[in-house]
Amino acid sequence: MLTKYMQEDKRMSAKEAVERFVSDGDSVVIANCLYGTPYALIHEIIRQGRKGLTVFQQGGIDEIDQLLLGGCVSRLLMAYNFRVAGERIETVLERALRRGEVEVEDYSNYTLLAMLQAGAMGYPFLPVMSGIRESDVYRVETFCAGQKFGEVECPFTGEKVVVVRGRNPDVAILHVQRADKSGNAQLWGALINSKWACLASSRIIVSCEQIVDRDTIMRSPHLTIVPSFRVCAVVEEPWGAHPSELLGFYDYDMIFRSLFFMQAMSEEGGKAWMDEWVYGVADRREYLQHYADRFGLRYLQELRAKPYPSIPADYGASGRRAWDENDMSFNFQLTRDEFLRALEEKGGFVNG
Amino acid sequence: MAEVKYTEAEIIVANAAKEIEDGDIVVIGQGIPMAAGVLAKATHAPNCVILTEAGLVGIEPFRNPLHIADPTCTRGYMYSCDMIDVFATIVNRGLVDVTFLGVGQIDRYGNMNSTVFGDYRDFRMRMMGAGGAPEFFGYARKAVLTMRGGKFVEKVDYVSSPGYLEGYDAREKAGFPPGSGPKVVYGTRGVFRFHPESREIYLAGVFPGHTVEEIKAEVPWDLMVAEDLEELPPPTREEVELIREFAPEIAAGRKLQLELSIPRILNILSSRAP
Repeated sequence: MLTKYMQEDKRMSAKEAVERFVSDGDSVVIANCLYGTPYALIHEIIRQGRKGLTVFQQGGIDEIDQLLLGGCVSRLLMAYNFRVAGERIETVLERALRRGEVEVEDYSNYTLLAMLQAGAMGYPFLPVMSGIRESDVYRVETFCAGQKFGEVECPFTGEKVVVVRGRNPDVAILHVQRADKSGNAQLWGALINSKWACLASSRIIVSCEQIVDRDTIMRSPHLTIVPSFRVCAVVEEPWGAHPSELLGFYDYDMIFRSLFFMQAMSEEGGKAWMDEWVYGVADRREYLQHYADRFGLRYLQELRAKPYPSIPADYGASGRRAWDENDMSFNFQLTRDEFLRALEEKGGFVNG
Repeated sequence: MAEVKYTEAEIIVANAAKEIEDGDIVVIGQGIPMAAGVLAKATHAPNCVILTEAGLVGIEPFRNPLHIADPTCTRGYMYSCDMIDVFATIVNRGLVDVTFLGVGQIDRYGNMNSTVFGDYRDFRMRMMGAGGAPEFFGYARKAVLTMRGGKFVEKVDYVSSPGYLEGYDAREKAGFPPGSGPKVVYGTRGVFRFHPESREIYLAGVFPGHTVEEIKAEVPWDLMVAEDLEELPPPTREEVELIREFAPEIAAGRKLQLELSIPRILNILSSRAP
């Protein structure tokens, strides 16, 4: 069920947003993929100890590992998850799978996102490129058994078409460059799954680098990836996607990620990383403070984007109103008084 | 003139780049494939369009991106769309001329595994997953594979991306676009192509300094070898300079890259804030 979120001001902390809108057992989609990853929201979900989540993972680097280390995820629909080392190193995902803590259903990038696209459009299923039928992505099923792929006959050509089921996650978490306080969220750069992941979901939590005024949104509607009436919470969170990158703000922090991967090679190391960077800080501000204390701010400064602004699209028009400065109608060549008289004379009014 | 020194990755990149023709629409993943695409665009194929499934179309990377959704590697790009747009309106419409993919496991008919080694449930290792590969591999006019650390196997443990299935016309019968499929595999020692009828992979050429015997020893069946082996040229000075300018990490290769970057990482990790 979709809910309209019409409050004018939905600003709140990440803590409040997760408390109010993410529950144990929810299905959650991470609505950025590789780029602009909503780490601040992900870390807050972990800190609040959410359990039993079903996570739609388009493609990730270390965020799924962190959610697994937090014990948050029981089911994972996944197309891609980065691994840094070879067979000798057991990854966080492998450990969780071997212990039966998580189940994985493997999709390809397209078939995973097509489920969300169908869900976003309110369709029960959607055709995908049928070649997937010849792969084990199609044949091997786990917890989606019987619901993973289907096949229908095209009513027009008789061709057998592979379809995926429309999916509507409970929550989408999205990070963007800017949003207004009511949740009109503007994203640019790698758009990947963001639009479909959000629009498929019942609730959308947006974190952003900057809250901007409504006029900024009205002048650049082409950048709005999700409209405010779908968004239930807006969290202002500078560096909210660190260590991933976001155009106009920062590059990825390779060194910081290396730190995670080096530590996560062992179970104790992974736990220590989580204690230091997730549980050991109350929020994103403390995380950044800790980063500054630990490494100095200059490493963050090296990542800062240099400006390369888009040429503004001119949303200007003549600005012509229905009535000109002499109170003449452009279309009728009548003054407002003449127009009212005409309505009277020609029986335009219905109540005498 | 003294012969230019080159790395294992550089000779692959330089040769793989020649698979791109000027004007091609090219879908590319991270690593060696990206380096090959950028090299092609900088040399013989200035009009090729490089895109990734992240919806970054017409990128002109000036440094090696960490992943396929990294727009900080390019100063703008020509078309910003999303993953549905890329797969449905570009890949599915048959507009992709070349796709480059890395190999985890591959069998004699070019079926590929990038998901899991061993039994699916009782696995030896989970790889990164299918990602965009099944559809790129399925629907691009030509798939170029690069293989470093990948393995030839009799049967892949998991078919992430179907190649020629059981060989001969099995791929066409299964409904893939006519003429699509893997065309060439660049390994560290040589290049492999697929027989026009049986679709079985064969050794087509050997890189300088390597032998047919060496390569056959890495393949668990009696590998077919072309009667006239192609001479694979070493990279030119211009090529290695371009590759190193763009992506010294790729030139170094994964192992050496790690070794060379560890001192900087350790230095930062051990430093206290000033």
